[in-house]
Amino acid sequence: MSAALRLPLAALVVVVIAVSYWLLSESGAEGRPLAFALLAGSAFGVVLQRSRFCFYCNLRDLVDKRDPSGVLSILVALAVGAIGYMAIFGTWLPTPALGRLPPTAHIGPVSVVLAGASFVFGLGMAISGSCLSAPFYRLGEGSVIAPFAIVGSALGFGLGFMTWNPLFNLATSEAIVVWLPHHLGYTGSLVLTLGLLGALAWLAVSLSKPQARPAQPPLDTREIVQNVFVRRWSGVAGGILVGLIGTLYYFRVAPLGVTAELGSIVRTAGASAELFPSTLYGLDVLRGCATVIKETLFSNNGLFVLGLIGASFASALVANQFRPRRLTGLDIMRGLGGGLLLGWGAMTALGCTVGVLLSGIQAGAMSGWVFLLFCVVGATLGILTARVIARRSAPAAA
Amino acid sequence: MLNSPLRLAAIAGAFLLSGLTATMAQDGPLVTADWLANNLQNDNVRVFEVSVDTGVYERGHIPGAVNLNWHSDLVDTVRRDLVSRENFEALLRRSGVTTDTTIVLYGDNNNWFAAWGAWVFDIYGFSDVKLLDGGRKYWEAQGLPLDTATPEYAATEVTVSDELRPLRARLVDVLAVVEGEVQAQLVDIRGPKEYNGEIFAPEGVQELSIRAGHIPGAVNVPWGTIVNEDGTFKSADEIKAIYAAVGIDGAQPIITYCRIGERSSHTWFALSRILGYEVKNYDGSWTEYGNSVGVPIDNPAGTVWGNT
Repeated sequence: MSAALRLPLAALVVVVIAVSYWLLSESGAEGRPLAFALLAGSAFGVVLQRSRFCFYCNLRDLVDKRDPSGVLSILVALAVGAIGYMAIFGTWLPTPALGRLPPTAHIGPVSVVLAGASFVFGLGMAISGSCLSAPFYRLGEGSVIAPFAIVGSALGFGLGFMTWNPLFNLATSEAIVVWLPHHLGYTGSLVLTLGLLGALAWLAVSLSKPQARPAQPPLDTREIVQNVFVRRWSGVAGGILVGLIGTLYYFRVAPLGVTAELGSIVRTAGASAELFPSTLYGLDVLRGCATVIKETLFSNNGLFVLGLIGASFASALVANQFRPRRLTGLDIMRGLGGGLLLGWGAMTALGCTVGVLLSGIQAGAMSGWVFLLFCVVGATLGILTARVIARRSAPAAA
Repeated sequence: MLNSPLRLAAIAGAFLLSGLTATMAQDGPLVTADWLANNLQNDNVRVFEVSVDTGVYERGHIPGAVNLNWHSDLVDTVRRDLVSRENFEALLRRSGVTTDTTIVLYGDNNNWFAAWGAWVFDIYGFSDVKLLDGGRKYWEAQGLPLDTATPEYAATEVTVSDELRPLRARLVDVLAVVEGEVQAQLVDIRGPKEYNGEIFAPEGVQELSIRAGHIPGAVNVPWGTIVNEDGTFKSADEIKAIYAAVGIDGAQPIITYCRIGERSSHTWFALSRILGYEVKNYDGSWTEYGNSVGVPIDNPAGTVWGNT
């Protein structure tokens, strides 16, 4: 695509987002959180696109290329957000008394169901080639697999609603909700969280191979423009920004999450078609990316995701990274199949790598750590299996 | 320099006037957003937020307001009852309330749960409790300041009387009215479709009753009828006229009810505190009455549960 087309198109997207923001913020007290959600989603989209902040690709970079920068970016986001969340908790709930939880924070139930769902989610990432937040920003980059991953995820959500009640009876009803500050206080919880993140960072660095660094040319205006609008942002910068957006979004609206709206659309459609049980046990009282029967057209999460896609599209256009490629049958299968696992995992775990892992660990929730562990195990198993399959089929192909 | 005494006098006069308007405005059961905004520094005023949506208070409340959680602070969830006297007293003590404190409640959802709170305060003897007219919605619409810090007040030794004020109707009281043993007028403040028995619960709310309809003899005045577009109450004269039109003029005692007793607290507040009628709120409401075995109902639509 030529620059003469790209740049005006990007400007148009920015204008649409800006006008929508203005209209929403002027529409009274109800519109203000919606306006903020749109803006925060847009900021999130730009940061994801510019720094390629994607849970799966960052993990794969470490496993396949032994490049730790992406994983470090995630760990930085978790650390910055954990500090931000604790600052907010301290004013909202001055002492972490037992029996009280900070409002709306994603402190989810921990059970074997969460472990299983996180593992399946990890496998889904390896098959579809991304987590659930990435297809939204990749949509903005013209990814051909992303629409299928989103459709697959929607189907997976449907499957999740169907299996919710048996799994609830099996284990979720007896799940424990562990919030670290209840047991360690705010300081102890933050020290433990940062300590664990530091240990993981050390592990990632010790697994890595030294990466060659290109020589830095002198910083002139052209270089600055390239650094901001075209080249990939540094992992640490991306991580800090994701942590900051997460903190501000929790402060103003809700913990970050990208699946609530998708899940709500599926739940609303499925409920009206009577595909799901009319009662989903306990679902509406558990903490996480809540899916609700939709009664209003616009929701905070819906606008957040729209902002994410729009802003990532504009950002990709400016960087000339909007590059749809030819769609293959394998793309469709990987998208739908992997998406199905992602959707089922995200519904059953009450969120994905953003809602449960990121927003959970930042909030001091044990559920976030359980998701991290089992999702990484699932994804790594997927990556290694793919490697074995590739090796076996390589001689035949040759 | 020459002007100084005059200026001083003017300033003193202005202070006196603002003091006067403040006193005047807080005489009634409602306070205006302006009055409250001017009295946020007043140690003798304690503001409580009673919102039902999670995280609303924490993300911004009227500066200095204490959070009251309707689900845990104002009810006994195990007994399905009012908060116990001991717990209520402890709550007031840690909120720094004394017998002289002017108590102002407000909340989301048009003050429904704040009105429930006012009803509880009134039952426990704080009969001068006030509502912020228009609640949270009005305060936000005016763009007035919000705060996110949780306030802490020096604890007091206030005591709550054992004697409950008779503002609560129980199932037996309602049945006595239905069966003609006691004279009272019943007001159903739910929507007309709930009242007529066409639906079991409003949209988006779980159906908790297995019968549809209303208590025999109840008149239907949906709660919103007495509220302005901006969420504030209509004037006392307008409310009086709306109720007079359905034959309720305060000559007889009144019982208000809804689905779970919280929206009807809002109407209880208007009839009892704004108009001064003798009113009880039936907090068991339709989820108790409609589910009770062997009690009569009126169900004009004839909807039968489970009959598909």
